[in-house]
Amino acid sequence: MAKTILAVDDSASIRQMVAFTLKGAGYEVVEAVDGEDGLNKAKSKPFNLVLTDQNMPKMDGITLIKSLRAIPQYKSTPILVLTTEAGDAMKSQGKAAGATGWLVKPFDPQKLMDVVKKVIG
Amino acid sequence: MAGESRNRASSESFGEASIDVPGVPNVYYDRQFNIQAAKILPGEYYVTQRDMMIVTVLGSCVSACIRDRETGIGGMNHFMLPHSDADPNNPLSTSTRYGTYAMEMLINHLLKLGARRQFLEAKLFGGGNVMQGFTVHKVGTRNAEFARSYLEVEKIPVVSQDLLDIHPRKVYYFPKTGRVLVKKLRNLHNETISEREQQYQQRIVVEKSSGDVELFT
Repeated sequence: MAKTILAVDDSASIRQMVAFTLKGAGYEVVEAVDGEDGLNKAKSKPFNLVLTDQNMPKMDGITLIKSLRAIPQYKSTPILVLTTEAGDAMKSQGKAAGATGWLVKPFDPQKLMDVVKKVIG
Repeated sequence: MAGESRNRASSESFGEASIDVPGVPNVYYDRQFNIQAAKILPGEYYVTQRDMMIVTVLGSCVSACIRDRETGIGGMNHFMLPHSDADPNNPLSTSTRYGTYAMEMLINHLLKLGARRQFLEAKLFGGGNVMQGFTVHKVGTRNAEFARSYLEVEKIPVVSQDLLDIHPRKVYYFPKTGRVLVKKLRNLHNETISEREQQYQQRIVVEKSSGDVELFT
Protein backbone atom coordinates (compact mmCIF):
# COMPACT_ATOMS: atom_id res chain seq x y z
CA MET A 1 0.00 0.00 0.00
CA ALA A 2 1.20 3.48 -0.82
CA LYS A 3 2.60 5.52 2.03
CA THR A 4 0.58 8.59 2.87
CA ILE A 5 1.90 12.11 3.29
CA LEU A 6 0.10 15.13 4.73
CA ALA A 7 1.24 18.32 2.95
CA VAL A 8 0.41 21.53 4.82
CA ASP A 9 0.95 24.93 3.14
CA ASP A 10 -1.18 28.06 2.76
CA SER A 11 0.18 28.64 -0.74
CA ALA A 12 -1.76 26.76 -3.41
CA SER A 13 1.27 26.97 -5.72
CA ILE A 14 3.50 25.19 -3.24
CA ARG A 15 0.82 22.55 -2.51
CA GLN A 16 0.60 21.88 -6.25
CA MET A 17 4.36 21.47 -6.64
CA VAL A 18 4.72 19.30 -3.56
CA ALA A 19 1.76 17.06 -4.47
CA PHE A 20 2.97 16.76 -8.07
CA THR A 21 6.42 15.68 -6.89
CA LEU A 22 5.30 13.19 -4.25
CA LYS A 23 2.44 11.64 -6.23
CA GLY A 24 4.84 11.18 -9.12
CA ALA A 25 7.01 9.09 -6.81
CA GLY A 26 4.07 6.90 -5.81
CA TYR A 27 3.07 8.45 -2.49
CA GLU A 28 -0.49 9.26 -1.55
CA VAL A 29 -0.82 12.96 -0.71
CA VAL A 30 -3.46 14.77 1.34
CA GLU A 31 -3.30 18.59 1.28
CA ALA A 32 -4.12 21.01 4.09
CA VAL A 33 -4.34 24.81 3.78
CA ASP A 34 -3.02 25.84 7.22
CA GLY A 35 -1.86 24.39 10.54
CA GLU A 36 -5.36 24.07 11.91
CA ASP A 37 -6.61 22.23 8.83
CA GLY A 38 -3.48 20.05 8.98
CA LEU A 39 -4.05 19.14 12.62
CA ASN A 40 -7.68 18.18 11.96
CA LYS A 41 -6.69 16.02 8.99
CA ALA A 42 -3.88 14.39 10.97
CA LYS A 43 -6.34 13.50 13.70
CA SER A 44 -8.83 11.99 11.26
CA LYS A 45 -6.42 9.41 9.80
CA PRO A 46 -2.81 8.32 10.32
CA PHE A 47 -0.02 9.54 8.02
CA ASN A 48 3.47 8.17 7.45
CA LEU A 49 4.92 11.67 7.09
CA VAL A 50 3.87 15.27 7.65
CA LEU A 51 5.40 18.03 5.52
CA THR A 52 4.57 21.54 6.70
CA ASP A 53 5.22 25.19 5.94
CA GLN A 54 6.04 27.54 8.85
CA ASN A 55 4.26 30.85 8.13
CA MET A 56 0.54 30.17 7.78
CA PRO A 57 -2.72 31.79 8.88
CA LYS A 58 -4.59 30.35 11.90
CA MET A 59 -1.81 28.01 13.03
CA ASP A 60 1.86 28.08 12.05
CA GLY A 61 4.09 25.10 11.39
CA ILE A 62 5.87 25.02 14.73
CA THR A 63 2.57 25.12 16.64
CA LEU A 64 1.32 22.31 14.41
CA ILE A 65 4.41 20.23 15.21
CA LYS A 66 3.99 20.77 18.96
CA SER A 67 0.31 19.83 18.72
CA LEU A 68 1.12 16.68 16.72
CA ARG A 69 3.90 15.61 19.10
CA ALA A 70 1.37 15.78 21.96
CA ILE A 71 -0.72 13.11 20.22
CA PRO A 72 0.63 9.59 21.02
CA GLN A 73 0.08 8.42 17.43
CA TYR A 74 2.36 11.19 16.10
CA LYS A 75 5.07 10.91 18.71
CA SER A 76 7.60 9.48 16.29
CA THR A 77 6.09 10.25 12.87
CA PRO A 78 8.62 12.10 10.70
CA ILE A 79 7.68 15.78 10.35
CA LEU A 80 9.54 17.91 7.79
CA VAL A 81 9.35 21.68 7.57
CA LEU A 82 9.46 23.31 4.12
CA THR A 83 9.83 27.04 4.60
CA THR A 84 11.24 30.38 3.45
CA GLU A 85 12.77 30.69 6.94
CA ALA A 86 16.50 30.11 6.62
CA GLY A 87 17.56 31.58 9.97
CA ASP A 88 19.12 29.47 12.70
CA ALA A 89 16.83 30.85 15.42
CA MET A 90 13.67 29.62 13.70
CA LYS A 91 15.34 26.35 12.76
CA SER A 92 16.25 25.73 16.42
CA GLN A 93 12.66 26.41 17.42
CA GLY A 94 11.56 23.84 14.87
CA LYS A 95 14.01 21.30 16.16
CA ALA A 96 12.92 21.93 19.76
CA ALA A 97 9.26 21.54 18.76
CA GLY A 98 10.08 18.08 17.39
CA ALA A 99 10.69 18.58 13.67
CA THR A 100 12.61 15.82 11.93
CA GLY A 101 14.14 18.04 9.28
CA TRP A 102 14.22 21.54 7.82
CA LEU A 103 14.08 22.31 4.10
CA VAL A 104 14.57 25.89 2.98
CA LYS A 105 12.75 27.20 -0.10
CA PRO A 106 13.05 27.67 -3.07
CA PHE A 107 11.41 24.29 -3.31
CA ASP A 108 13.64 21.65 -4.89
CA PRO A 109 11.81 18.46 -5.92
CA GLN A 110 14.95 16.32 -5.97
CA LYS A 111 16.05 17.38 -2.51
CA LEU A 112 12.56 16.78 -1.14
CA MET A 113 12.48 13.30 -2.66
CA ASP A 114 15.91 12.46 -1.23
CA VAL A 115 14.84 13.47 2.27
CA VAL A 116 11.43 11.79 2.08
CA LYS A 117 12.99 8.53 0.89
CA LYS A 118 15.53 8.74 3.67
CA VAL A 119 12.95 9.17 6.43
CA ILE A 120 10.08 6.91 5.27
CA GLY A 121 11.53 4.85 2.45
CA MET B 1 13.39 49.52 11.91
CA ALA B 2 10.60 47.59 13.55
CA GLY B 3 7.84 46.28 11.40
CA GLU B 4 9.37 46.69 8.03
CA SER B 5 12.31 45.56 6.08
CA ARG B 6 14.02 45.39 2.79
CA ASN B 7 15.62 42.20 1.74
CA ARG B 8 17.27 40.61 -1.19
CA ALA B 9 14.99 37.73 -2.10
CA SER B 10 18.14 35.65 -2.24
CA SER B 11 19.15 36.49 1.32
CA GLU B 12 19.90 33.54 3.51
CA SER B 13 19.31 35.64 6.61
CA PHE B 14 15.65 36.20 6.04
CA GLY B 15 13.65 35.70 9.20
CA GLU B 16 16.51 36.42 11.55
CA ALA B 17 16.59 40.13 11.07
CA SER B 18 15.88 42.64 8.41
CA ILE B 19 19.07 43.44 6.64
CA ASP B 20 19.84 46.46 4.62
CA VAL B 21 22.38 46.46 1.86
CA PRO B 22 25.37 48.24 3.39
CA GLY B 23 25.93 51.74 2.17
CA VAL B 24 22.69 51.99 0.26
CA PRO B 25 20.26 54.59 1.56
CA ASN B 26 17.25 52.44 0.87
CA VAL B 27 14.82 54.66 2.77
CA TYR B 28 14.81 58.37 2.08
CA TYR B 29 12.51 61.33 2.25
CA ASP B 30 11.02 62.07 -1.14
CA ARG B 31 10.54 65.81 -1.54
CA GLN B 32 8.44 65.57 -4.64
CA PHE B 33 5.80 63.44 -2.94
CA ASN B 34 6.45 64.65 0.62
CA ILE B 35 6.64 61.15 1.95
CA GLN B 36 9.18 58.65 3.17
CA ALA B 37 10.18 56.34 0.34
CA ALA B 38 11.99 53.05 -0.19
CA LYS B 39 13.64 52.18 -3.47
CA ILE B 40 14.01 48.53 -4.40
CA LEU B 41 16.29 46.85 -6.91
CA PRO B 42 15.98 43.58 -8.87
CA GLY B 43 15.70 40.63 -6.49
CA GLU B 44 14.54 42.73 -3.56
CA TYR B 45 11.26 43.39 -1.85
CA TYR B 46 9.98 45.82 0.74
CA VAL B 47 7.02 45.65 3.09
CA THR B 48 5.60 48.23 5.43
CA GLN B 49 2.72 49.04 7.75
CA ARG B 50 3.35 52.75 7.49
CA ASP B 51 2.18 55.44 5.13
CA MET B 52 5.06 55.60 2.71
CA MET B 53 6.02 55.10 -0.91
CA ILE B 54 7.87 52.19 -2.53
CA VAL B 55 9.65 52.92 -5.79
CA THR B 56 11.29 50.77 -8.41
CA VAL B 57 12.34 50.89 -12.06
CA LEU B 58 11.32 47.93 -14.20
CA GLY B 59 12.54 46.72 -17.54
CA SER B 60 11.56 43.14 -18.28
CA CYS B 61 11.22 42.38 -14.57
CA VAL B 62 7.83 42.41 -12.88
CA SER B 63 6.71 43.94 -9.60
CA ALA B 64 3.75 42.72 -7.65
CA CYS B 65 2.31 45.38 -5.36
CA ILE B 66 0.31 43.52 -2.75
CA ARG B 67 -1.64 44.91 0.20
CA ASP B 68 -4.23 44.00 2.76
CA ARG B 69 -7.11 46.21 1.66
CA GLU B 70 -8.49 46.36 5.23
CA THR B 71 -5.31 47.44 7.04
CA GLY B 72 -3.18 48.97 4.31
CA ILE B 73 -0.22 46.74 5.18
CA GLY B 74 1.52 46.34 1.86
CA GLY B 75 4.66 45.73 -0.09
CA MET B 76 6.31 45.34 -3.43
CA ASN B 77 8.73 42.86 -4.95
CA HIS B 78 10.84 43.08 -8.08
CA PHE B 79 11.87 39.89 -9.81
CA MET B 80 12.27 37.95 -13.01
CA LEU B 81 12.40 34.28 -13.92
CA PRO B 82 15.74 32.68 -14.62
CA HIS B 83 15.05 31.40 -18.13
CA SER B 84 17.34 28.43 -18.04
CA ASP B 85 14.69 25.79 -18.50
CA ALA B 86 14.26 23.39 -21.32
CA ASP B 87 10.51 23.27 -20.68
CA PRO B 88 8.96 26.47 -19.34
CA ASN B 89 5.56 24.78 -18.92
CA ASN B 90 6.93 22.29 -16.44
CA PRO B 91 5.41 23.14 -13.03
CA LEU B 92 8.66 22.10 -11.37
CA SER B 93 10.97 24.08 -13.65
CA THR B 94 13.66 26.26 -12.13
CA SER B 95 11.81 29.33 -13.40
CA THR B 96 8.50 28.44 -11.79
CA ARG B 97 10.16 27.50 -8.53
CA TYR B 98 12.16 30.70 -8.35
CA GLY B 99 9.17 32.89 -9.26
CA THR B 100 7.05 31.16 -6.66
CA TYR B 101 9.77 31.83 -4.11
CA ALA B 102 9.98 35.55 -4.98
CA MET B 103 6.22 35.90 -4.59
CA GLU B 104 6.08 33.87 -1.40
CA MET B 105 8.83 35.91 0.29
CA LEU B 106 6.74 39.05 -0.19
CA ILE B 107 3.45 37.46 0.87
CA ASN B 108 4.95 35.75 3.92
CA HIS B 109 6.43 39.00 5.11
CA LEU B 110 3.10 40.78 4.69
CA LEU B 111 1.38 38.05 6.73
CA LYS B 112 4.04 38.43 9.42
CA LEU B 113 3.23 42.13 9.68
CA GLY B 114 -0.41 41.22 10.23
CA ALA B 115 -1.88 41.21 6.72
CA ARG B 116 -4.53 38.57 6.18
CA ARG B 117 -4.50 36.36 3.14
CA GLN B 118 -8.21 36.74 2.38
CA PHE B 119 -7.90 40.54 2.20
CA LEU B 120 -4.89 40.65 -0.11
CA GLU B 121 -5.17 42.45 -3.43
CA ALA B 122 -2.49 42.86 -6.08
CA LYS B 123 -1.42 45.24 -8.80
CA LEU B 124 1.10 44.08 -11.43
CA PHE B 125 3.62 46.11 -13.37
CA GLY B 126 6.49 45.59 -15.73
CA GLY B 127 7.31 42.69 -18.00
CA GLY B 128 8.24 45.07 -20.80
CA ASN B 129 10.01 43.40 -23.70
CA VAL B 130 12.77 45.97 -23.45
CA MET B 131 15.83 43.91 -24.30
CA GLN B 132 16.06 44.31 -28.04
CA GLY B 133 18.71 41.65 -28.34
CA PHE B 134 16.60 39.04 -26.61
CA THR B 135 13.20 39.53 -28.18
CA VAL B 136 13.10 35.92 -29.36
CA HIS B 137 12.57 34.77 -25.80
CA LYS B 138 10.09 37.49 -24.86
CA VAL B 139 11.57 37.69 -21.40
CA GLY B 140 9.10 40.33 -20.25
CA THR B 141 6.10 38.36 -21.45
CA ARG B 142 7.21 35.27 -19.56
CA ASN B 143 7.65 37.24 -16.35
CA ALA B 144 4.25 38.90 -16.70
CA GLU B 145 2.49 35.63 -17.47
CA PHE B 146 4.08 33.93 -14.52
CA ALA B 147 2.97 36.67 -12.11
CA ARG B 148 -0.60 36.61 -13.41
CA SER B 149 -0.94 32.85 -13.23
CA TYR B 150 0.66 32.69 -9.78
CA LEU B 151 -1.88 35.16 -8.36
CA GLU B 152 -4.71 33.28 -10.07
CA VAL B 153 -3.65 30.01 -8.42
CA GLU B 154 -3.34 31.78 -5.06
CA LYS B 155 -6.74 33.43 -5.58
CA ILE B 156 -5.33 36.89 -4.93
CA PRO B 157 -7.31 39.35 -7.09
CA VAL B 158 -5.39 41.55 -9.52
CA VAL B 159 -7.18 44.90 -9.30
CA SER B 160 -4.98 46.75 -11.76
CA GLN B 161 -2.06 46.08 -14.08
CA ASP B 162 0.24 47.69 -16.59
CA LEU B 163 2.29 44.96 -18.23
CA LEU B 164 4.20 44.14 -21.42
CA ASP B 165 4.80 46.82 -24.07
CA ILE B 166 8.42 47.71 -24.86
CA HIS B 167 9.22 50.55 -22.44
CA PRO B 168 10.82 50.51 -19.02
CA ARG B 169 8.63 51.84 -16.21
CA LYS B 170 9.12 53.67 -12.99
CA VAL B 171 6.54 52.57 -10.45
CA TYR B 172 5.52 54.48 -7.31
CA TYR B 173 3.38 52.46 -4.90
CA PHE B 174 1.50 53.82 -1.91
CA PRO B 175 0.49 50.70 0.01
CA LYS B 176 -1.61 52.54 2.59
CA THR B 177 -4.11 53.59 -0.07
CA GLY B 178 -3.19 51.18 -2.83
CA ARG B 179 -2.53 54.03 -5.23
CA VAL B 180 0.09 53.54 -7.95
CA LEU B 181 1.72 55.96 -10.33
CA VAL B 182 3.48 54.58 -13.39
CA LYS B 183 5.86 56.60 -15.47
CA LYS B 184 6.74 55.09 -18.86
CA LEU B 185 10.38 55.83 -19.57
CA ARG B 186 10.15 56.28 -23.31
CA ASN B 187 13.23 58.40 -23.82
CA LEU B 188 15.54 56.73 -21.39
CA HIS B 189 18.58 54.80 -22.44
CA ASN B 190 17.90 51.28 -21.34
CA GLU B 191 21.44 50.10 -20.78
CA THR B 192 21.54 50.60 -17.03
CA ILE B 193 18.23 48.86 -16.48
CA SER B 194 19.08 46.01 -18.83
CA GLU B 195 22.54 45.58 -17.37
CA ARG B 196 21.20 45.48 -13.84
CA GLU B 197 18.54 42.97 -14.81
CA GLN B 198 21.02 40.75 -16.63
CA GLN B 199 23.39 40.75 -13.66
CA TYR B 200 20.47 39.86 -11.42
CA GLN B 201 19.42 37.08 -13.76
CA GLN B 202 22.90 35.55 -13.78
CA ARG B 203 23.00 35.77 -10.00
CA ILE B 204 19.73 33.88 -9.50
CA VAL B 205 20.59 31.17 -11.98
CA VAL B 206 23.79 30.45 -10.11
CA GLU B 207 22.70 31.02 -6.54
CA LYS B 208 19.14 30.35 -5.97
CA SER B 209 17.54 27.38 -7.60
CA SER B 210 17.22 25.56 -4.28
CA GLY B 211 17.56 25.98 -0.54
CA ASP B 212 19.42 24.13 2.20
CA VAL B 213 18.29 20.87 3.74
CA GLU B 214 19.05 19.75 7.26
CA LEU B 215 17.95 16.59 9.02
CA PHE B 216 17.97 16.81 12.80
CA THR B 217 19.48 13.80 14.47
